[in-house]
Amino acid sequence: MLFILVVTAILTTFYFAYPNSSNANTGEKTFLSHNGAVIKTTGDILDPVYLPQTVEFDPDKYLREFNYGRVSKLSDGTTLREFTIIAEDDKIMEISPGVFYNVWTFNGTVPGPTIRATEGDLVRIHFINNGARSHTMHFHGEHPAEMDGVFEIVGAGGGQFTYEWIAGPVGVHPYHCHVMPLEEHIIHGLYGVYIVDPKEGRPQADEMVMVLNGFDTDFDTENNFYAANTIPFYYQHHPIQINTNELIRVYVVNMVEFDPINNLHLHGNLYQYYPTGTSMVPSTFTDMITLSQTERGIMEFSYSYPGKYLFHAHKVEFSEKGWTGLFLAKNTEK
Amino acid sequence: MEEQKRSKAKLIASGLIPFSFLIVMLVYIVGPGSTMIDLGVALPELTIEKIDFIESEILVTVRNTGPIPVDVTVADVNDRIQPAAMEPDKHLERFETALVKIPFSWNEGEPYTIGLTTSDGTRFEKGVDAAALALKPNSETVGFLLLIGTYVGVIPILIGLMWIPFIRKISNQKYIFFLALTVGLLLFLGIDAIEEALEVSSESLAGTFNGPLLIATTVLISLFGLYYAGERLTRKSSLTKLANPYSVALMVSIGIGLHNLGEGLAIGAAIGLGQVALSTFLIIGFALHNTTEGIAIAAPIAKEKTFIRKIIGLGLIAGVPAIFGTWIGSFVYSPFTSVIFLSVGAGAIFQVVIVLSKWLREYDRSFSSTPVVTGIAIGMLIMYLTGILV
Repeated sequence: MLFILVVTAILTTFYFAYPNSSNANTGEKTFLSHNGAVIKTTGDILDPVYLPQTVEFDPDKYLREFNYGRVSKLSDGTTLREFTIIAEDDKIMEISPGVFYNVWTFNGTVPGPTIRATEGDLVRIHFINNGARSHTMHFHGEHPAEMDGVFEIVGAGGGQFTYEWIAGPVGVHPYHCHVMPLEEHIIHGLYGVYIVDPKEGRPQADEMVMVLNGFDTDFDTENNFYAANTIPFYYQHHPIQINTNELIRVYVVNMVEFDPINNLHLHGNLYQYYPTGTSMVPSTFTDMITLSQTERGIMEFSYSYPGKYLFHAHKVEFSEKGWTGLFLAKNTEK
Repeated sequence: MEEQKRSKAKLIASGLIPFSFLIVMLVYIVGPGSTMIDLGVALPELTIEKIDFIESEILVTVRNTGPIPVDVTVADVNDRIQPAAMEPDKHLERFETALVKIPFSWNEGEPYTIGLTTSDGTRFEKGVDAAALALKPNSETVGFLLLIGTYVGVIPILIGLMWIPFIRKISNQKYIFFLALTVGLLLFLGIDAIEEALEVSSESLAGTFNGPLLIATTVLISLFGLYYAGERLTRKSSLTKLANPYSVALMVSIGIGLHNLGEGLAIGAAIGLGQVALSTFLIIGFALHNTTEGIAIAAPIAKEKTFIRKIIGLGLIAGVPAIFGTWIGSFVYSPFTSVIFLSVGAGAIFQVVIVLSKWLREYDRSFSSTPVVTGIAIGMLIMYLTGILV
């Protein structure tokens, strides 16, 4: 009896001390990781690398997708642009390989759709709140007080509101939910980009949108992941394809919370920067801008030489947590 | 005969019936279709048990100590995401451990924090004060640790045993004092081992193991187990009313041996973690400290006819485990085994304290004579003062 007890005790001890010793594994595999390190292992790889087929939110699609709305002409010749935006707050999204987070969304994605209009257009947004909490849409820009989305709370479970205003001023602006507690509503993903084009238009360019954002997945008021367009390290593995000698225009909006600043550094080049995009004259020619919360602007540049060029936060902590990517410049055939 | 069988069956049945009701209740609560305990949120928990620095790589031993299985998704060094490998795989069942290998050119002497993030985005971390190359078990390091174990465990105890001729020649009163001194020394060592075990458990053992209760359980089981075994042993071999002095000395040696295994683990782990300055103090302190352990073994057998071979044998039983301890502590340290060793050692020591106290009562029924009381007090004081050096 005593003997059995002793043996059981010893075996239990070993089970707790070395529980996985029974798992025999054969066959070593070699991986190339996101920062170039070579790893040999018989086990699994932990590296935030997204395969295109597994991505739930497609940063490539979001990058160049602009929504101009359902367009019609009013009797006085004004262009009317109508959008329908549905808010939800029950979606669990894989925001980095294997990491699942409850995102709150406008039209199912973080960031929400990029809304684009021309100065002077009438913008009408049919907002439906299908979430379990109250939500609103608050646009930066000019509009009447009652269209501000702060005091006009839209109730949960199908509440509706129609926002309407004349688009302006020209530039790139964020929109986001403005229900208290505000921080909670923003960090869960209720934000997006609103672009107002000048009437005369901007020069022809390869245009793209970058929302700089982060996720605090363990709710300690510090971001665990950072990215340009939600998915950490995505553009590092899927370089943004551009052509040499073609004008590139990036609408960049900083939506990172908790950290007072964010920034954007471009390799092998400098860009003309238009803060908030409100002026047609660039304020600076640089390779580094610093952005506080909801600060935004337009970057314009073109590459003369083909190749891979990094762009990333020069606050290196952010880039090492996912906010880093590549442009792949290809020679244009002429 | 039939009658007897039937009553036995009845007895077994009456013993089993409450169990069957317990099972029915458990099935009702957690069985399929039950929504009763679908309350609250089960949170994942990871415990990083060990961090080793090797050539251009950091090895992290992690255990799932939470109530649910988890997937590890991200590894980071100093809160910066690093690619890593996880063996055997990234899925951890409850209590399962795995090895996370992070390629990283670390700098010697710098502090590092290792973080692991689970699939729900929760991050768990553990810090290292100063990175140092982990010892690899090769002939050089094995020999080095053998030497340290010998300095700490074997030699001081043998030196302590050299007091035997002195103790033999003193009067009965003074001999009682030395026996009581031994009780004092051992009491201190037992408390010391428990304190050490509590420290390891609070630093590196996950909450699910219930560190303090694990220690209490292990100490008491080893105490009663050894006491039971010891009583049987002495009952069979004892010629006199008193316990055989050699078997008492042997028990003292075994108890101290287990204790020294724990000390060896502490030293080995300190060397393994690169706390070299600490190790020097540990080694000097333990060496002084352990000389007194020699006296503890010497006292019970001092009045007997002794053979030098037997004495050295007892000294080795008490001292050599320190060598094994340094090896285990440096190469395959695990906080769980460490806590178990220390607790078993404490139980073994308390068992010897009981046996020696019974013995002392043969000389001093009231257990309050001057030599007994001063012996115990001075024994603890000596240990405390030499222990300050550690």
